[in-house]
Amino acid sequence: MTKSLDTGVPAGTEPTASGPADVDRAPLRRHRRNRALIQLGCIAVTLFMALPLYLVALAAFTSRSALDRFPLSLLPTDLSTETIGRFLASTGILASLGNSLIVGFGALVLSTVVGVPAAYALARYAFRGKDSYQLFLLFTRALPIVVLSVPLAQLFLSAGIYDTTYAVILLHGALALPTTILITASVFVSVPVDVEEAARVFGCTPAQAFRHVVAPMALPGIAAASIFTFVLSWNEVLGASILTLNRRTLPAQVLTSLNESPLAYRFAGGFALVVPALLFIAVMRRWLTNMWGTTIR
Amino acid sequence: MRVTQPTRRAFLGGLLTTPLLAACAGFDTSGAASPGTVGFLSTQFAPVEERQRYEQVLSRLPVPVAYNPVDAGVFRTTIDSQTAAGQVQVGMVGGLHGDLAPIAEHLADVESLLADLAPAGFAPELVQLARFGGGAAKYVPWMQATYVLAVHQRALEWLPPGVDPEALDYDGFLRWMQAGAAGNGAPIFGLPAGPRGLHHRFHQGYLLPSFTGGQITAFTSADAVGAWEYLRELWQVTAPASTNYAFMQEPLARGEVLVAWDHVARLIGAVGDRPADWLMVPAPRGPKGLGYMLIVAGVGLPVGGPEREKAEIAVRGMASAPMQIETLRNNAFFPVTSIELPADLPAGVALEARAVKAQNSADDAVLALPPVGVGAHDGQVSQVFKDCFTQICLDGRPARQVVDAQARVLSGLLAELNVPCWAPDPPNAVCEVG
Repeated sequence: MTKSLDTGVPAGTEPTASGPADVDRAPLRRHRRNRALIQLGCIAVTLFMALPLYLVALAAFTSRSALDRFPLSLLPTDLSTETIGRFLASTGILASLGNSLIVGFGALVLSTVVGVPAAYALARYAFRGKDSYQLFLLFTRALPIVVLSVPLAQLFLSAGIYDTTYAVILLHGALALPTTILITASVFVSVPVDVEEAARVFGCTPAQAFRHVVAPMALPGIAAASIFTFVLSWNEVLGASILTLNRRTLPAQVLTSLNESPLAYRFAGGFALVVPALLFIAVMRRWLTNMWGTTIR
Repeated sequence: MRVTQPTRRAFLGGLLTTPLLAACAGFDTSGAASPGTVGFLSTQFAPVEERQRYEQVLSRLPVPVAYNPVDAGVFRTTIDSQTAAGQVQVGMVGGLHGDLAPIAEHLADVESLLADLAPAGFAPELVQLARFGGGAAKYVPWMQATYVLAVHQRALEWLPPGVDPEALDYDGFLRWMQAGAAGNGAPIFGLPAGPRGLHHRFHQGYLLPSFTGGQITAFTSADAVGAWEYLRELWQVTAPASTNYAFMQEPLARGEVLVAWDHVARLIGAVGDRPADWLMVPAPRGPKGLGYMLIVAGVGLPVGGPEREKAEIAVRGMASAPMQIETLRNNAFFPVTSIELPADLPAGVALEARAVKAQNSADDAVLALPPVGVGAHDGQVSQVFKDCFTQICLDGRPARQVVDAQARVLSGLLAELNVPCWAPDPPNAVCEVG
């Protein structure tokens, strides 16, 4: 094949019999080139995401003396679990990890339970003030968390839920509501009304039609929104620090400490903060892929 | 039949997650939840290892204490909001003088406690500080610290003749650093001038008091302009990466710089690992003496806090000689009571203790304090000094012009605050920029 190209005689001088030289290979080449470029692009994006993670993981598992060396080795040459071990042994790390999970899932459940019906209403019904309502939703995020937290702390103190995960769940749930509503509303819009009506024709009540027909098709959008909620809750520090005292979430527990700790601990802490969030996203990915496979065509 | 399966799954899922979500208000992350434990909210010893070591120290107290370090902003907000709601949940609070000043009105009077503890021998100037310029003392001194120079043995190679590293003056120090930079091919001196570094304390407590004898009252004097011009010269032979340094122990341990000025607790990491390689020396002296800054931390009892009796026992325990020594041994903060330091201190801490003693017992020592009574404005006052440094040393603007412009900012701040001056300035009725 290459031979015919290499020896390829100038067109027109001598008629080629029935050779593949006749075939216009340009589209094929273009296709291959594009595919290679896409692959390269994917590799570049992957490296962009994975390289910092690799460096954090590497530094978290490198001995402290090796971290002080210059230049730093980019390969795992001096592995040690001393730093990460000492970090994990600090008071309250595992307890705060548990609190972060409770708060993350709690905020997720709360924002889904409240947000999905709101999103459904926004997607299916026309009502007066709908646009301003949508804009109004975003106002929750317009106030800095510190402005919200101090009065909330006082309120929660009087209500007796200060220093509990419930307080943080309420705050994070409220903070996540705008994204949950807006994302799921746009997914509900893309679920055809026809299928819902068909379900009604076959005898479903509105609730059943939602439960058996609409919800499964909107699941990917709900999954995407829940990733936003979880990651928001996982990363939020200031509100959680002010609303709790002895039952902190992981970032609230470690962030001050890491800010002032030697470099090695900052990497160890960073690693401990990143891994659970990555695991959560990996689990939720199943439903996201589903979204690209079915609903949005 | 189609319906039962998801129901069962949902039921099982609910069974698994319900206890997690509903029955659990959260896990205890500080140890304060168990009854009878004193919750100790503090702004100190947040770093991972320091906290672990200090928890060990606290475990020697006769009452259980749960140590809960937070940053200064959260510290203040927590006390403020708990007090405002009338439900204080913190047994005792600990912080630097500057951290406790803004919440002083929420702290109980501790005069009787101080009277009981008088035999321990608190330094009178520290007790005076705890009274916030009059009235009853609001905290019991806890520990103190200062800033010194750490010098690697290798830097001695370039020591100019006639300069004694143990008794430096600013001119000799500059010549030494110049010789070092020339000999080494790169600057050997580093300052913690990064965003989280404490270089403003160098300007407030070392440079200006040594050159002018004051901090605020001589801010615009010719001596002060001379001090900033000196710093500009020193900056020429300072590692440029200093604008990124926070804790000098890190660049020192990496060998990026050989000489550094910083807080004793921020140097110990480098010196403690290889004490034989290091010298700890007092800061240089200037025309007006050896200016140095004293950092004081105290423990207070919030009004209406839980477990008051146990908290008082804890505060008494913390003033005892063994606890004070253990704090020094572990975290390099010095005792506030009159006790003899033991001979068997860790080598790095012993080096520091010698330098600190030489520094504050010098004949011409000029004691300086971080801004007192300015409360939450401490950051703004310190920013004035940082801005002077940035504009004069980094941007190369004329020192006189910058000092005059910043003096106006400082005057504005102090006029609003209406506080008396603090050491080394004379305690006039109201502090004014001079």
